[in-house]
Amino acid sequence: MLISKRVVALGLAAVCALGSGTALAADKEDLKVMQLPIRTDGPKSLDPVEGSTTYDNMACAQFYETLLTNKYASPMEMEPLLLTEMPTTADGGLTWHFTLKDEVYFHDDECFPEGKGRQIRSDDVFYSLKRLADDEHKLENWWLLADTIKGFDTYKDEQNAAADFDYDAAVEGFVKISDLEFEIVLQKPVYRFLYILGMFQTSVVSREAVEFYGDDFAEHPVGTGPFILDTWTRKQSLTGNRNPNYHEVLYPDRDEWSREDKRARLHRAAGKQVPFVDRVEFTMFIEDQPMWLEFNAGNLGYSQVPEDYFTDAFDRSSKELKEEYLRRGMRPHANKLLDFTFRGFNMEDELVGGYTAEKRALRRAISYAIDLDEINETFYNGRRIVYDGPIPPGLDGHPEGGASAAGARGRNIAKAREMLAEAGYPDGKGLPAIRFYTSQSTINNAVSELVKRQLEEVNIKFEPVFMDFSTLIESINKKQAPMFGFAWSSDYPDGENNLALFYGPNEAPGSNHYNYKRPEYDAMYEQVLTMGPSDERTAIYEKMRDMILDDCPYVGGMARERFYLISPWLLNCKPTERYYGWFKYLDVDDSKRE
Amino acid sequence: MLNYIIRRTLYNIPVFLAIIFVVMAALRVNDPVSAQLGKNAGPEQIQLLTEEMGLDKPFYKQYGIFLRDLALIWKPIPEREEGFVEGDWTRKETRSWDQGLPVSRMIGKAIPPSMAITIPTLTMSALISICVGLVSAFNRGKTVDRTLMFLAVIGMSISVLVYIIMGQYFGAFVPGRMVDGWPFQVTVDASAGESAFFFFNPVNWVAFCMLPVMINVVVSLGYDTRFYRAVMVEESAKDYIRTAKAKGASTTRVMFVHMLKNAMIPIITRIMISLPFIITGSILVEVYFGIPGMGRTLISAINAKDFPVIQTFTALFTALFIASNILTDVLYAMVDPRVRLS
Repeated sequence: MLISKRVVALGLAAVCALGSGTALAADKEDLKVMQLPIRTDGPKSLDPVEGSTTYDNMACAQFYETLLTNKYASPMEMEPLLLTEMPTTADGGLTWHFTLKDEVYFHDDECFPEGKGRQIRSDDVFYSLKRLADDEHKLENWWLLADTIKGFDTYKDEQNAAADFDYDAAVEGFVKISDLEFEIVLQKPVYRFLYILGMFQTSVVSREAVEFYGDDFAEHPVGTGPFILDTWTRKQSLTGNRNPNYHEVLYPDRDEWSREDKRARLHRAAGKQVPFVDRVEFTMFIEDQPMWLEFNAGNLGYSQVPEDYFTDAFDRSSKELKEEYLRRGMRPHANKLLDFTFRGFNMEDELVGGYTAEKRALRRAISYAIDLDEINETFYNGRRIVYDGPIPPGLDGHPEGGASAAGARGRNIAKAREMLAEAGYPDGKGLPAIRFYTSQSTINNAVSELVKRQLEEVNIKFEPVFMDFSTLIESINKKQAPMFGFAWSSDYPDGENNLALFYGPNEAPGSNHYNYKRPEYDAMYEQVLTMGPSDERTAIYEKMRDMILDDCPYVGGMARERFYLISPWLLNCKPTERYYGWFKYLDVDDSKRE
Repeated sequence: MLNYIIRRTLYNIPVFLAIIFVVMAALRVNDPVSAQLGKNAGPEQIQLLTEEMGLDKPFYKQYGIFLRDLALIWKPIPEREEGFVEGDWTRKETRSWDQGLPVSRMIGKAIPPSMAITIPTLTMSALISICVGLVSAFNRGKTVDRTLMFLAVIGMSISVLVYIIMGQYFGAFVPGRMVDGWPFQVTVDASAGESAFFFFNPVNWVAFCMLPVMINVVVSLGYDTRFYRAVMVEESAKDYIRTAKAKGASTTRVMFVHMLKNAMIPIITRIMISLPFIITGSILVEVYFGIPGMGRTLISAINAKDFPVIQTFTALFTALFIASNILTDVLYAMVDPRVRLS
């Protein structure tokens, strides 16, 4: 009975499969369709001002656009996107002049008269920025522009206090010159302002769409982006069709690509109008196995290589792609992330916090006793970059060779013992257990065990406390965690973003999770905020970095390197996590599909 | 019977309210605000979100508001007139904190994909395991029985996750690369679109649901077979079976007419207990195979501390469980004339 039922089921399957293949093929006939993964359950909102995660960014960037963007060929640099040229300033960065591109239209949508998208104007930019100040959106991204634009903070306070938020009320720093030209006046020159204008939260949205869709605007994106939303099944998939009215955006010129990029034939579409594909289909993967199998089956254009599958594709020691994958035409790509993973101390904690010589010595003793290289080799196949200071590799202020004399880099058992004695705990005697709060995961549990073993060698008792991520954030925000494991990914490629993590006024629940407070540090931070890249600014970055290393409010850091594999049928692909507006540059060659 | 159903329903209302009370109180041990905010959250933002979520209100108000909104979930909210001032008890749509969508819409969209998996699973596993249980009980102590029970124990001892990972690899990925036109897909891709009834199309069902259903059936067979065998063994030792055999009834008749009919009470109990899961789905299978069902929705809500979704889900599950219990009693009376509902 059992066997016969299975035979019937398989027979039915085989019959239906014939129909299935035909139906799917017919749907996609003559269309260039690009299938890509999102490695989690995807965006929570398609409203830029309510987004904060990488996945919100990835989704929003397909439908909306910002004034500036990162360059595809060299993502650490910025270029105009909705502007004709980079913003200009005549007064040292206080007033910025912007000219919008002509002929940039919002997507056709029923929110517009006759369903025809209209041209974007200066007012759209002001309206979009004002939405960041509206507490209806929980001010989730207000931090981007707080204390930055003249009169904007006052506007925010006044409008949120009023019965209705008036988007037509004037902001002193928003100066309209014409429909395509405007100026923004800052409170003081803030260099990061231009980076902020490249972040997806500042994307230009249409007021008509916001008002037409109301509470459901988050699932009806109407922007100027290269794709128009087709379907969005939460936690499942997201699809978009090519925007037929997309403005002129050309694939980067041949001379913008490095020699290595040219070897990967990334320059082949130079000078052509994008996007190249008719449709993009994102599938969300909560678990790694289905994503990895789908990629290996040739159904996804590219894939991050999950930690657990690294040695499937790469040789463990040489990190070279295995022959099997090379034969199939797969191309590897490695991305160094602007990452800062660390084990932080709460500087207000009675045991490990404080600025006295003894407290400083205790933290340095812990730091000397922990061997980050062993952690890296044991758990990450040596693929993480260990460095001193909070500024990740590739940015001004990162120490040469990753090491600074001010750091207390382990492992140095003799120094650890010396520091322990200086802290008043010779040979660890009298030192209570140090409670370490970290998020629960297989790898965190194992790493904590290793750290525990390393610290035991100098008689420091280490007590990991595992919790889910949101409880961890809550504990840190409430200053309850004496020591904690955390990470920071830079919002923009400037060391200032990481140095802000130690700025006193940003204390918890702000981004200064260490509650580090040094007036002289804060003064230097306020100074660098107004400075553009220069040797002078780098010197101050280094001074701030070494001040932090000397006080030792954390043990670390490490930066991740992400490995990608790219299918032979996906062309022009150079994955980056600096921004997500690059999918429009991708193309597909269906003849190379397996 | 109607009186009985009404009375039982009324008796269960305090149970329903108590379960929701306990779940809501337990959820509030943790603060969900941090889970919803980005890494740059400041005190002002935390305050705003706390108010937006209604967590600044006393617990009794949160409880009352949730029950009121749950009871009126079907009723549209009237348009507000200009100048309307919101109060604590002003009715608002119950929306997911994580997704911003109305919870009713989320659950409405998630139920059909779950049912595409759970209904065939329940039906197939019940049919197969009852048959195997019957065969095993009838051949009690013989090689057939021992072999079947050995397989059942093996089946029970292996983790569900192993079945899923191996099933996905060997049931879809490997043959998919070797056999052109292999029917089973590794996971649901973007072609599924937004329709909640995508999986009700037979072609799509075979491609995306048949393998998960087969895995679910295999997983449940071990437990169900052992249970049904135990029930049948008890029945097979009774006098009426011996009488039926003595009267010359065929083996098939004894098994499928006499024995099965008399074993219906425990069978109904077992099946009815499983009924709520038709709606609530199966978490791991949905996560791995990308089925946008209730299990996947629930696990995402738990991870995001999305209280409105978790609470509504709990209320739905509780209601289904109570309903299935009442229905079980009714069915007892229908299949066994000795049972009287009073």
